[in-house]
Amino acid sequence: MTDYAAPDLPAEILLIEDDPEIRRVLRTTLSLERYNLREASTAMEGMKTIASCQPDAIILDLGLPDKDGIEVIHQVRQWNKLLPILVLSVRSREQDKISALDAGADDFVNKPFAVGELLARLRVADRRSSSILTERMDAIFRIGEIDVDLARRKVTVAGEEVHLTRIEYKLLQILIRHADMVVTHSQLLNEAWGPNHGDQVHYLRVYMLQLRRKLEKDPARPRHLRTEPGIGYRLITEPLAR
Amino acid sequence: MLLRGAHRPRALDYLEAVLVAAICTVVSVAFRKRIDMVNFAMVYLFGVLVVSVRCHRAAAIVNATLSVSAFYYFIVPVHDSFVLEDYTYIITLCAMLAVALVITTLIERVRSQAAAVRDAEIAIQTERMRNSLLSAVSHDIKTPLAAIYGAATSLLEEEDRLNAVNRRELVGGIAAEVERMNRVITNLLKMTRLEAGVHVKKDWYPLEEIVGAAATRFEHAFGGRSVMIKIPPDLPLICVDDVLIEQVFVNLLDNFLKYTPAGTALEIIAGQDDSRIFVVVRDHGGGFSPGDEERVFDKFFRGKTDGERGLGLGLAICRAIVHGHEGTIAAETALDGGAVIRFELPIGGAPPAVGELPESSLA
Repeated sequence: MTDYAAPDLPAEILLIEDDPEIRRVLRTTLSLERYNLREASTAMEGMKTIASCQPDAIILDLGLPDKDGIEVIHQVRQWNKLLPILVLSVRSREQDKISALDAGADDFVNKPFAVGELLARLRVADRRSSSILTERMDAIFRIGEIDVDLARRKVTVAGEEVHLTRIEYKLLQILIRHADMVVTHSQLLNEAWGPNHGDQVHYLRVYMLQLRRKLEKDPARPRHLRTEPGIGYRLITEPLAR
Repeated sequence: MLLRGAHRPRALDYLEAVLVAAICTVVSVAFRKRIDMVNFAMVYLFGVLVVSVRCHRAAAIVNATLSVSAFYYFIVPVHDSFVLEDYTYIITLCAMLAVALVITTLIERVRSQAAAVRDAEIAIQTERMRNSLLSAVSHDIKTPLAAIYGAATSLLEEEDRLNAVNRRELVGGIAAEVERMNRVITNLLKMTRLEAGVHVKKDWYPLEEIVGAAATRFEHAFGGRSVMIKIPPDLPLICVDDVLIEQVFVNLLDNFLKYTPAGTALEIIAGQDDSRIFVVVRDHGGGFSPGDEERVFDKFFRGKTDGERGLGLGLAICRAIVHGHEGTIAAETALDGGAVIRFELPIGGAPPAVGELPESSLA
């Protein structure tokens, strides 16, 4: 599943979660998917395991008994920017998710989660970390009917060229770089406008609205430029079948 | 209206005591030439009665004392003087005070009884609410639990006798029931949180984005059913809590899927009406039973439906959220029989101009 792990050597995933039932379910499912699962039930234990066995990815519960899971993210990111971190959280705790994402988590999955969704997110996070390693970007990025020619900055929808303003294109570019992953408002604002516009999220919303109107068939029911309410946006390259 | 509410500030009672004594005096002085002494006393006594019924005890005593003083100062000959030679002054004062005390005591007793009755009624209502909550919760949580437990135990115990199809069926049932239970619990938690006080975190949003976020959650569930969203492209931004307003749409879409026949369509139409934005959500199902249009927004109210049951919280949550935004929400049955929910939200001031961040500021 990864470019850097040899195919016969299963990737090692560390699950830091205090609930034994969730650990059991993931142990069973991930082993079917040929992942090697390591488990930790506290943040401290998790940190120790990360240091000793260097996992290929981390699945992290935010509500741990000894420490806030966000602490773990901060500590991991101090020495490893690439290690994929997927957060398990509860819907309605948007602020926690934003803090986790801004601390450097790659994505989140809401509890209760479908295992398929968790695996898909894990793969995406992993793909991102390996594509950063190789710095490889496809010349033409395809999202459904939308083709983005990254070299020539040309965007076509069903073959028709669409004119995007510089900011619209920049936003699309950022979303493509994080394809299928959530990108928080502050990440987008910082990358598109620079660091001093962090509190002007409504600009971002208006530009995203315009972008949707230019790229989506039915902008009120977007297939690709999805909103994560209270958190940010997610570019879906292929809507997940269920 | 004679009995005042129990929570008037005391200062107002004193003011009323003084005013009533003054009015009695003005009336008496005006008719000084035409009526006799006993009737003057009656006028003041009436004043004392009124104050005793409407005000607290100390104010009634003040009024009685003032009345007796004014009676003797202005009315009893010699006028405009205060003569203490007569013991009738003391007797009148005692009579007035006695009236004031008896009446205020009686009134207080009546009032405390009324309060006790009211408390009892509230207690009964709370109890009734708790019972309906308990029965709703126990039904809506225990039913899926029973299904899950049943499916899981047969998977465990009948492992050898189940073929792949049976197994798939049981596991599919477990997943579906868990989803249902999750919805119930989420709604219950949401209502509890809303009742503890809606914490509204507002910012400027295009309505289209909020509707879109809700609709995409249901993309799979719609299964090809027609859902038309009509939002004018020039609709101004609106100052709301996006997570809460999205919840309103989620609950309305959930109702559409739960309570309307497969294949029927849904329309969501938005527009501007002065300083407000309105949203009309119209389906083509069976609508509301006549007379239910108000009650559908009550907590734990469940309209007559065949089969599908919910906690009766969806629309109650919608109303709590809309009210938390100083908006209004109403339900009606359309001419074709479908359900129509219309809500209005204030835009919330002048939307910020977008375009001040020049694109040339791009790095």
